[in-house]
Amino acid sequence: MNILHWIYGVLSFLGHDIGYALAYIIESIILLIFVSVMLIFMIYLFRKYMARVQQRIGPNRVGKFGSLQLIADALKLMGKEIIFPKERDDLPYKVAPYIVFFGLILAFAFLPYGNLSIFGNLTITYSDVSIIFIFAILAIMPIGEVLAGVGSHNKYALMGALRSVAKDVSFEVPMMLSVLAIVMMASARTSTSLSLESIVTTEILPYGILEPIGLFVFFIAMIARASYAPFDMGESDSELVSGYSTEYTGMRFALFYIGLFGSIFLGSLLIALLYIGGFNGPFSSQVGFIWLIVKGLILVLISFTIWLSMPRIRIDRLVNAGWKYLLPISFINLVLAGVLTLGLGW
Amino acid sequence: MEVKEPKKRIPLIGILSGMISVASHLFRKPVTVQYPEVRPYEPERFRFRISLKLDDCVGCTLCEQVCPNGSIKMEKLVRENPRNKRMLYPDVNFGTCTVCRNCEEICPTTAIYLTHEFETARTKNSFLYSPLELAMDEKEVKK
Repeated sequence: MNILHWIYGVLSFLGHDIGYALAYIIESIILLIFVSVMLIFMIYLFRKYMARVQQRIGPNRVGKFGSLQLIADALKLMGKEIIFPKERDDLPYKVAPYIVFFGLILAFAFLPYGNLSIFGNLTITYSDVSIIFIFAILAIMPIGEVLAGVGSHNKYALMGALRSVAKDVSFEVPMMLSVLAIVMMASARTSTSLSLESIVTTEILPYGILEPIGLFVFFIAMIARASYAPFDMGESDSELVSGYSTEYTGMRFALFYIGLFGSIFLGSLLIALLYIGGFNGPFSSQVGFIWLIVKGLILVLISFTIWLSMPRIRIDRLVNAGWKYLLPISFINLVLAGVLTLGLGW
Repeated sequence: MEVKEPKKRIPLIGILSGMISVASHLFRKPVTVQYPEVRPYEPERFRFRISLKLDDCVGCTLCEQVCPNGSIKMEKLVRENPRNKRMLYPDVNFGTCTVCRNCEEICPTTAIYLTHEFETARTKNSFLYSPLELAMDEKEVKK
C-alpha cells in the first residue's frame, strides 16, 4: 500500500485523472515537507555534534536546547537584502541555486522508503530503472554549481566551480562502477536488477558484507559527491572565499547550504539502501521506513565525523585519488562481484 | 652512522584513529560557561572597582598624583566634612583605569579602596564616576 493510493482513495470522487493528479501533487508536498524537516534536523544535529566534539555547547538560546535556532536562521536569511553582482550573467546566476535544490528533491522521489505501519510507502513513483534515474539526477546538481561559478563573474566562484567539476568527474566513474557490481550481483536473482526496490528486496545478505570494497569506494565517492571535508574543493573556504557560492546572499545561499546537507542525507540513504540492507530488518513490513532512516542517520553521523576530523586535500591529489586508486579498486570489485555471482553462485 | 628510517605508515589507520579521537570528544563535558547564568570562578583577592568612603577622604590629592595614567581627577563637591576643608574628592575614569591599586596603597586614611565588583557595564556612554557614585554600591549607580 502506498500513500499515493491512500490519498487517491480519499479523492476518488473527483474521477480518475483529476484524482490521481491531485494525489501526486499532495504526495509531492508531503515528501517535500519530509525532506525539509529531515534537513533542518540534520543541520541542527550537525551543529550540536560539531559543538560537542569541540567541547562547546552549540545553539542553546532559541527554543528548548536551541531547537528553533535553524528556523530563526532561515527567517534571517529570508529577510536579508539580496545583493546582485554588477556584471553577473543574469539567468545562470539566478537559476543555479534552484537547479541544485530541485535536483536534490527530485532524487528523493524515487527512493524506496519501505513501509510504515498504516501509512504505507512514501515513494512517489516506481520505475524499473530507478538506479539510472537517481544517478542521472545526481549528475544535474553539478550543473547548478557550474552555472553559479560562471554566472557570478568572480574569480573565486569560477575557481570553485572548476574544482568541483574536476572532483565530480573523477569520482562519478568509480561510483557508477561500484553500483554496476551490485546490479551484476542482483541480476542473478531478479529480472529488474536496475530497480532499487527489487535490489533491496531480493538480497540475501547485505551487499556491504559481500563486497566491502564496493562499499568503501562508494562511500568515498559519495563524500566527494556531497563535497564536504576532505573533499570540499568546491567551497575551499580558506582559499577561495566560499567557492561557487561566494557571490550569493540570502535565500539563494541557503539553497546551496541545504543542497550540501541534502546531498549528505541522500548519499547516506543510498548507501543504506545499496549496501547495508535499506529497509530490511526485523518487522520490516511494518517499520521498514524507520529502519532505513535509522541506518541513514548512523551513516550521517559517520559522515559528520569524517567531515570534522579531516583537512582538505590538495586538488591534484584528489584527482589522483579518483583516477589512480579508486578506479582500479572499483574494477577489482567488479571482477570480484562477477566471481561471487557466477563462480560461487551467491 | 645508521640512519633510522621512519616507520612506514599503513594507509587508513591514521584516518581511522583521527576519526575515533574526534568521536570520543563527544562524551566530554563542554568547557563553555554560560556566563550570566553560571558564574565563573573568581579568585578571592580579585579587585576591580574603586570605591570611596566620603567621610574618610581628606582631599590630599595623593591618589591623583600617583595615578599612572591620569584616571583620577580631583573634583569639588560641596559637602559637610570637617576633615576635608578644600572639599576635593577623587573622580575616577574606569575607561583608562588599569587597576594598578596605587591609589589604594597611598591613601593615608584608606578612604579609597578597591572592591570585588567587576560588572560595571551601563547604558551611559561614559566610564566617569563622580565621587558620589564612587561612594555608592554598583547596583545603585546603575539605577
